Amino acid sequence: MNVNFNNRDPVYLQIVRYFKEKIAVGGLKPGEEIPSRRELANRMKVNPNTAQRAYKEMEEQGLIYTEKNHPSRITSDKVTLGKVRDELLAEAVDMFVTSVRSINVPVEELLDLVKVKYTANGDKED
Amino acid sequence: MIEVKSVEKKYARKKILKGVSFTANKGEITCLIGINGVGKTTILNAIMALTPINKGQILIDGEPLTKNSFEKITFIPDTITMLPHMKIAEAMEFMNDFYTCWNQERANELLGFFRLDPNERISSLSKGNTAKVNLLLGLALDVDYVLMDEPFSGIDMFSREDIANVFTSHLIENRGVIITTHEVGDIEHLIDKVVLLDDGIVRKEFSAEQARENEGKSVIDVMREVYQR
Repeated sequence: MNVNFNNRDPVYLQIVRYFKEKIAVGGLKPGEEIPSRRELANRMKVNPNTAQRAYKEMEEQGLIYTEKNHPSRITSDKVTLGKVRDELLAEAVDMFVTSVRSINVPVEELLDLVKVKYTANGDKED
Repeated sequence: MIEVKSVEKKYARKKILKGVSFTANKGEITCLIGINGVGKTTILNAIMALTPINKGQILIDGEPLTKNSFEKITFIPDTITMLPHMKIAEAMEFMNDFYTCWNQERANELLGFFRLDPNERISSLSKGNTAKVNLLLGLALDVDYVLMDEPFSGIDMFSREDIANVFTSHLIENRGVIITTHEVGDIEHLIDKVVLLDDGIVRKEFSAEQARENEGKSVIDVMREVYQR
């Protein structure tokens, strides 16, 4: 759980994002148990209050759930989980489009380039 | 909650604190930041009544400090106060004799956490290990508030990491902590609240996470704004 936090975004949102990424790529399975707040704070080297806030946010978004006297778990709700992947994907594409738009490249050329690069790098991605 | 209200302090004719006010909550880590000589240590000394103040008031959970407060609040200075010929074990015994709130179980846990040998003499410890023993002696007290003066200064990066790890553990949880520092870099994510001091006054008091959330600024960004003149 080595996360490189940046100093300008709220840490709790960066933690939520970390979990979303893990969920999207299957690193965290539906229904999987997640560390306690204290343990997470310790592993990620963040303030326990921040870890608490991240969990509260994830609970509100329905990403995790906690039953009384049990550790928190990732939700098994397919709709919510599906949304996570879509959301991350949309975000990444938006960012890409914004930065590429300034170069003013025809969309066909761009798509070809994306295809080549994406398949070439596909093996290296974890 | 520790409330520091319009505190003024003079050393001879020199005004060190010119009306300092801030609060530090229980369950939060409050960081006093300022360059050397702005009065950080003086504020901690004033909270502990180690130095008289000329004006203002300091309240701990709504009450002024009395001799019983020392079972509720502790101060970890930047130098060790134990006699150099003592072994770590003897220093712990000394603390146990002195404080009813000494928690030997927690002390043993901290020994393990910092990988310290209780039979070593304080005089033979490295600087980093001396700082760790110092921290151990303060944190093993079952107190609600802990004040730490420059716990990170002059310490190698691995020892710094060890000390920073304490802040994310149950050893600190639910306590109110005030630490002073002039270098905030590697503890940005650990602190709840920041109090920026300059020339004897509080220039800004803010929540680190709120600065990131509402303004997209790191603690260092805010410092740059405040201190730039």
